[in-house]
Amino acid sequence: MSTTPADTAVEIGRSIGVSVPRREDRRLLQGQGEFADDVWMHRQGYAHFVRSPHAHARIVSVDTRRALALDGVYAALTGEEVKELCESPFFQIAPEPAAKIAEYPLAVDKVRYHGDAVAVVLAETRELARDAAGLVDVEYELLPVVVDGVAAAEADAPLLHEQVGTNVAWHGVFDWGDVDWALENADHVVEIDHLHFHRFSSTPLECNAAVVHWDPGTDTVQVKSNNQMPMFASMVIGPTLGVASNRLLFASQDIGGAFGNKIGSYPQIAALALLSRKAGRPAKWTEYRTEHMLSCGHGNERTFLDTRVAVMKDGTILGFKTRAFDDAGAYLHYEPLGAVIWSQVSCGCYRLKHLHVDYTETLTNKCPTIPNRGYSRLQHLWLIERIIDIVAHELGFDPVELRKRNYVQPDDYPYETPNGCVYDSGDLPRSLDIALELIDHDKWRARQRELGRGSGKRIGIGIGSTLDSGTNNFGQARIINPELPFSGNGEAAYVKLDLYGEVNVNLGTTPQGQSHETTAAQVVGDVLGMGPEQVHVTAGFNQQQNTYVAFSGTYASQFAVTGLGAAKGAAEKLRAEIIEVAAFALEADAEDIELADGMCSVRGDQERAIPFIGVANLIYANNAALPTELRERISLNCRHVYVPPFEVPDPDKKRGNLTLTYASQIHACVVEIDEDTGHVEILEYAAVDDCGKRINPRIVEGQVHGATALGIGAALYESFEYDGDGQLQQASFYDYHAITALDAPDIKTADIESPSPFTPNGAKGMGEGGGAPLHAICSAIQDALGDQDAIVSDSHNPWERVWWLVHSGERGEPRGVRVSAQAAASAEGES
Amino acid sequence: MLLESVAYARPDTVAEALQLLAENEDAAPLAGGQSLINVLKHRVASLELLVDISRLEELRGIAAAPDGGLEIGACVTYDELDHSPEVRSAQPMLADVAGHIEDQQIRDAGTIGGNCCLSDPTNNLPPLLVALGATMVIASSGGPREVAASDFFHGYFATAVGEGELLTSVRVPPLAAGASAGYSTVAVGADSKAIARAAALVRANGTIEEARVVLACVSPIPARHAGMEEALRGRAAEPAAVAAAAERIGADLEPLGDAHGSAEYRRAMARVVARRAVCQAIGNGGPQHG
Amino acid sequence: MVEAGNVQAIEFTVNGERREATVASRQLLVHFLRDSLGMKGTHIGCDTGSCGACSVIVDGRLVKSCMMLAPQADGCEIETIEGIAKDGELTAVQRAFHEEHGLQCGYCTPGLVMAATFLLRRNPQPSEDEIRRAVRGNICRCTGYVNIIRSIERAARNGAEEAA
Repeated sequence: MSTTPADTAVEIGRSIGVSVPRREDRRLLQGQGEFADDVWMHRQGYAHFVRSPHAHARIVSVDTRRALALDGVYAALTGEEVKELCESPFFQIAPEPAAKIAEYPLAVDKVRYHGDAVAVVLAETRELARDAAGLVDVEYELLPVVVDGVAAAEADAPLLHEQVGTNVAWHGVFDWGDVDWALENADHVVEIDHLHFHRFSSTPLECNAAVVHWDPGTDTVQVKSNNQMPMFASMVIGPTLGVASNRLLFASQDIGGAFGNKIGSYPQIAALALLSRKAGRPAKWTEYRTEHMLSCGHGNERTFLDTRVAVMKDGTILGFKTRAFDDAGAYLHYEPLGAVIWSQVSCGCYRLKHLHVDYTETLTNKCPTIPNRGYSRLQHLWLIERIIDIVAHELGFDPVELRKRNYVQPDDYPYETPNGCVYDSGDLPRSLDIALELIDHDKWRARQRELGRGSGKRIGIGIGSTLDSGTNNFGQARIINPELPFSGNGEAAYVKLDLYGEVNVNLGTTPQGQSHETTAAQVVGDVLGMGPEQVHVTAGFNQQQNTYVAFSGTYASQFAVTGLGAAKGAAEKLRAEIIEVAAFALEADAEDIELADGMCSVRGDQERAIPFIGVANLIYANNAALPTELRERISLNCRHVYVPPFEVPDPDKKRGNLTLTYASQIHACVVEIDEDTGHVEILEYAAVDDCGKRINPRIVEGQVHGATALGIGAALYESFEYDGDGQLQQASFYDYHAITALDAPDIKTADIESPSPFTPNGAKGMGEGGGAPLHAICSAIQDALGDQDAIVSDSHNPWERVWWLVHSGERGEPRGVRVSAQAAASAEGES
Repeated sequence: MLLESVAYARPDTVAEALQLLAENEDAAPLAGGQSLINVLKHRVASLELLVDISRLEELRGIAAAPDGGLEIGACVTYDELDHSPEVRSAQPMLADVAGHIEDQQIRDAGTIGGNCCLSDPTNNLPPLLVALGATMVIASSGGPREVAASDFFHGYFATAVGEGELLTSVRVPPLAAGASAGYSTVAVGADSKAIARAAALVRANGTIEEARVVLACVSPIPARHAGMEEALRGRAAEPAAVAAAAERIGADLEPLGDAHGSAEYRRAMARVVARRAVCQAIGNGGPQHG
Repeated sequence: MVEAGNVQAIEFTVNGERREATVASRQLLVHFLRDSLGMKGTHIGCDTGSCGACSVIVDGRLVKSCMMLAPQADGCEIETIEGIAKDGELTAVQRAFHEEHGLQCGYCTPGLVMAATFLLRRNPQPSEDEIRRAVRGNICRCTGYVNIIRSIERAARNGAEEAA
């Protein structure tokens, strides 16, 4: 047996900060995990959704008779029937008029995107369910299609939801500082015509799945699924189904990746509940990959028009003005929260003071968007990083120096942004220096200069500076809709000493690879003076046994703060109870009791000791020996809810502290571009992470690796595109080229730790990564382009687009950018 | 995704397989299945009967003649081509190209026969087999017949193999003295779906005596480019001459654009891969996989 | 000859155990393993044979069990993730994935363990490039492959030590 680096002895009670080995691995490595499709129920049927081949069409008729005639088919449901069975359409976050959107678990009257569900069938086997779905006859009457998020806002665009009267789901102007003053007083104004952040998603390897059983005996709805935000799902579908939340019972164990995408399975879960009730059987559904690509949800696509940036001679960037169009697809799933969530990082890593964003979210005949790793912030951070690089490129600044000049500086923290967010800590210039050293920046800069034209190759050096904002203040939803009853955040945990003195932890979270069993054991073990291996953390989430709050789940880079904050709080309560019982049993003062290795002993007298089993025995089975007051008060079952210190933001000014922590990731890379083909080869890649105090550095590094590869995949390979008829072009892994081990580079990592002053362990949420690779790759391609070439204006750069870019100058293509001196600009304005 | 109902049979001999195929109108041979099973899963086509030929010993062998000629059974897998000492020695480029088809799992199942009979224009082996001057041996109830690789591919998903027939082997002639093969791909990602491919066979002795240049992904079938071949003949075997000859590739190509590459890009890439394949063949470039 | 039929009787060995079954001809091997044999360690991540989550070893070949029909397994020896560890003792490959944090959500992991096991049987001391090519057909969305590559490198070292 070889030794593991992670096996290095952990001092009892001091495991935080140590890369202890993962608790989850043993079952997962042997195929003993329990994922959603692994769950079986007695008498279950298999569900198969019938999905629209058209992007926009009136449903003339749905006929399930041929399907139901097939032997072994249990039931079928259509949109019309579902509408009758539902108490109401799904709750909408959006204010009027988009609040009028009437979405049901299946499409009613119309289909609005390629993949919209029109019916669902339940049958004895998977194969039969598919056969039956193929026998459902649907007659469609085609309608005109809109697939462009900007064009959708125009008055004559085809309407998706007639009762709303517009395709604009939300519009608002975010105006902080005085951008008009900045543009008037700037030495240079850089004008960027069009920037487009493309659609992609993290496509977790496990698709959505659920077994839903509407149990007539108890009138409960059991939902065994891999939904990653069950309380949100419960709040949305409970009223629609007319089921109280204490009878809508979610559970999951292992989840095969989610990345935000698995927030979006609630319409299917609601349909399965109705199907189960109708058939009198559990309804089991496992999404096919094609189905996932068509309908699970895509990341937000955003277009920025007429961006104007105010820059001073010395490189100080005062701010910018832009018009953003976010394409939400056909229905609002979690949207339009994305329309405010970006403003957590309104000025990115920079001291920008004047910002003006005219933001429109539109509905189009495309798959609805759903949160995707870096949700809504990465689009905006990409915009800011494009601005930085384009300004550097156009005005001749060194991209490194320009960043350092404008970064929030180490002594600025806590730093308040123009919209009232507070950046807690960090050292961006140092992180950048480390990243540049890792990629051997100076060597490659020299190599780039040596490499003359005619070699057929170009070198580019890129930087991506991002913030990973974690622990949302849900009060920001009120900036979207002041009527919403949401604010703050929180997470719950439950720690108990069990019958024989075992320590057990239950969490409110639904981890998907984030190693919560391991890190919670570290935190609780440290509080109770035990090694993490002595703490058992219940795998998965079960609404009937775990504790939770409405925010529970695993999303948005917050577990290290909220989840572990809750676990720590609950463990501290348990520690106090254990000490109190031990003090009684040992006839000592509570202050003199020490906990170590499952024993309570009196300081200075190791002979006076009682093990945890003894303490448990007194409470659970031997309580007549205890004073009444003690036995009535102490249960050794401790719940704690961690609540971050938030206030409700100001909806009018669109200001407030929207996020508790700001981890940073500074990425740097070197690429070589083949001018013949546009092929981009990554020669060096480095990521420097600062997420404050790291509970388990190796787990943090793993998250950095993963976010990096997904970002590189999105930058170079992965894109969801629709043709003019609204047909998705990449509906499988055959066409959607998920990055492989041959495409992905080796990734160098480093870290610095700037503890957060605002959190229980000094930790910050992390994991999403802010899309840094998209910024860095675009930055590197930009760096390889000449003065006459067009700017990098799209976040997706497959070989063909890069090939077009490197030849754009010689072809005289429009560059998409202009620089005006302020004097000239105002003269034009007057003429 | 799940297949429609279909019958399965596994004959013990090629004769039995031919009989099953002849007797059943909607029957198809199942070899590695790496494309056919996908087609059936997605219910793009429907069949009554799958005739599993993957274990037929008659189709599983690689025979090498003393002169370097190869006869490769239709059900030899990509992985077997990659690891066959005979193929490595006689036709290293064939082994190399087979070893870069997608991934290990596909290489362990996919067969040379299946790769050709599918006639998907993005497939790896067809342009190379045309360049190498291979002969396809087809069995039918009337006995075997031979078709040159250059005549084998008829269009998208259509080949010279008729109903009730079976491709049984691929004969690859030995490389002539002074001849060498080259191969180049522009693909979406490494070892993945191709945007343009070219295979070349060049006989040169300082000067290019003869060159075959076969382009793929830019037309329904792999096709030799007579203009470039002609422009190469008699020229110095060096990159500048090859590049000049590749300029002959142009408006004569009418590739289809799709989500992976526009027609314009594919045309331009055809020029690049043709140049690179020829340069590789004459020893002026490394292996070109994309 | 196995006569044509929509249902086939098959005999096979799975993880060393000889079994018999009657299967629908159209059933995919992966569904046979999961739904009929209850061996749920083999996962499904796509419907195009692109992701490798369902990788198993059949007669010494690494195959995607979603690209093979159940009747094709007749007479074959199948190895799945459930049979890799013997008596609960993790193999060098499994230990290395644990030691190098080569898994996060664990969904792709069984397929990757099979791919790595296949590689190291054939090539006990692979280069980094050989490792990357060996797992090209296994998509992982969590790790960026960095620690997967390190895990397999470590497994090769573990294996070499065990063999020594």
